Amino acid sequence: MLSTVRNTLRVPVAGVLRLFQTSALQASEKFDHKRIPQEDEGVQGEKVVDLDSVLKIKQNLFPTLDSDNQIFDGILYKQLPICNIRVSHNNTIFTMTDASGTVKIIRSCGMEGFKNTKKGTNIAAQTTAIAIATKAIDRGFKTIRVRVQGLGPGRLAAVKGLQMGGLNIVSITDNTHVSWNPPRPRKARRL
Amino acid sequence: MFLTLRLLSNRHPSFIARTVFVKNNNVDDACRLVNRILGKEGILEQYRLTRYYEKPYQTRRRVNHERCKAIYNEDMERKIQFVLRKNRHEPFPGCS
Repeated sequence: MLSTVRNTLRVPVAGVLRLFQTSALQASEKFDHKRIPQEDEGVQGEKVVDLDSVLKIKQNLFPTLDSDNQIFDGILYKQLPICNIRVSHNNTIFTMTDASGTVKIIRSCGMEGFKNTKKGTNIAAQTTAIAIATKAIDRGFKTIRVRVQGLGPGRLAAVKGLQMGGLNIVSITDNTHVSWNPPRPRKARRL
Repeated sequence: MFLTLRLLSNRHPSFIARTVFVKNNNVDDACRLVNRILGKEGILEQYRLTRYYEKPYQTRRRVNHERCKAIYNEDMERKIQFVLRKNRHEPFPGCS
């Protein structure tokens, strides 16, 4: 939808400029960048509205008081191994830990042979996820819980890849660090 | 009681907050549900806003723009509802 808005904005500007034969096209490009917000970065389902219908149909979607002691595949929920996924724009890092948080396996898209920009793609995330899943099964992890951190193109693909690799995912947790009174962030990028 | 204690001891208790169980091996749906909730609560928005420093003039512009958009959307919604409504009391409004 944003791209259509951008096009409609651009057309009249270009038409006016052509009348006067000026070379200020670059200025209008800059103006466009600032005014129009950036497009979405791989967070599917964020803008969907009808939340209540899903919640009504399905029960036991969210953890409760005694979900810690629920048994999945013969193991208590709180003792299940954890797969931490750190998603960023430029890379995706997987760490397999046991319930106490000791790291057992670590893989990243860079370690899988993807270099530079290719590290930050959803395909890279999925391949890495499948690779770590096979490794994890070799080590004896079968049923896991997933903790995702950060936004990026690999967010959905990573979790999907873990399942495709043969792991049984019990729950998905978001652990993105968000603060409402953060220290001053770095200065904005100049486009 | 235990839940309150756990919440008090840790502001962001892992695997209690922002957690969704996967049903019928449907990972896609669970992921989307998490994203949808995060989006609705404004957590993702806050995350994106705090990646880079936003100068005060930018904040002002953004807030003003959001206000304008909200007003426009509200009016447009009313307009659409008006056009789509059925069973008019007057079949041809404004033509008497």
